[in-house]
Amino acid sequence: MNHRHLLPNEIDLLVDGEAGFGVAPLRAHLDECHQCRARYEDERVFVDALESMPHFAPDSRLTDRVMGQVPLFVPAHIAARDSVARFLPQPGPARVAVAAVFASVAALVTMGLIWIATQGDAAVFMTGLLGDRLRLTLMGAARDAAVALLGEQALAAVQATGIGAGLLLAGFVLTAFGTVAGIRRLATVSRR
Amino acid sequence: MLRALDLANLPDADVVALALEGREAAHRELIVRYERPVFSLVFRMVRNRELAEDLTQDTFVKVLSHLDRYRADFKFSSWLFKIANNVAIDHLRRRQLETVSIDGSPHAMSSDDVESSRFDIGDDAENALEEMEARELGSAIELAIGQLRPEYRSCILLRHVEGRSYEEIATTLDLPLGTVKTYIHRARHELRLALEHTRE
Repeated sequence: MNHRHLLPNEIDLLVDGEAGFGVAPLRAHLDECHQCRARYEDERVFVDALESMPHFAPDSRLTDRVMGQVPLFVPAHIAARDSVARFLPQPGPARVAVAAVFASVAALVTMGLIWIATQGDAAVFMTGLLGDRLRLTLMGAARDAAVALLGEQALAAVQATGIGAGLLLAGFVLTAFGTVAGIRRLATVSRR
Repeated sequence: MLRALDLANLPDADVVALALEGREAAHRELIVRYERPVFSLVFRMVRNRELAEDLTQDTFVKVLSHLDRYRADFKFSSWLFKIANNVAIDHLRRRQLETVSIDGSPHAMSSDDVESSRFDIGDDAENALEEMEARELGSAIELAIGQLRPEYRSCILLRHVEGRSYEEIATTLDLPLGTVKTYIHRARHELRLALEHTRE
């Protein structure tokens, strides 16, 4: 039996539950020495009492008071992510369906763009053809309107004297001015 | 949207990361998680409930306003306790309460001074320390802790109330490990002496 009693710091080691190399002999000493065992037990009771001290609760409004003083800053990329997330349904079948629709549309658009890119000549030809068709249709409609308004002979006379373009331009300008003035007048009246 | 239930199950580091994204719910979760330990530490340091409420509030405002300075390799609770302790110690220094004794300031020059500097823990009906009255030893320990030097008090509270390791306390209080062990050993010794005196 070791006749040296344990020092206070050695009792501390045991109470703290240290498990180092030098602790085993100290623990063995406790089994043999009633005096040190009593000191250890006494210290253990004291530390247990310390460790059983409760937490106190602050005022229930503490959280709100703190949050009232904390500036919240949401980074731009987080705000953007949240904005997108707001339009998405909760995780589940609905979100899977939305994702599938978006994926399909994206795939179709991509395929269309790829086709256009690979068919450049055809696209230019088709665009020119559509432009010509549209121009001819509009000119035909304008001619029909002029014939209905002035008659075939009057129209031929106007075309022959070359004043047709001037008259058309003047008519367009007058119509535009009249339209703008009318709209402003209507806006003024409605404001009253 | 984050639900409270989700946050409650996350570790501190994840909640801090969400708070750094500006999530109000994450800020609130951090407060709810630590308001009792922080308030208890500060309350036992300054021994005044109203003051402890204000200092706890200051602590959380400082922590949450400067979350960007938090280093993830540091335990969040250690960082929080470090700030709470600093706030309490700074206050005690400002108030020049070098020794917080329930028997009044040792620097009191007259009986009036002693009376005015005495901690009367029975004054406030709402005083949480009254909860301890039913437990004689616990109550005596509360009183004895109030007599310790502030640095001893921080160490003993972090060690035995918050269950922190010596290494964590050293990190939290910016003290060498040996100093922490010495403080805790001395604090226990002083507490035991105080308790023997109480028993007599």
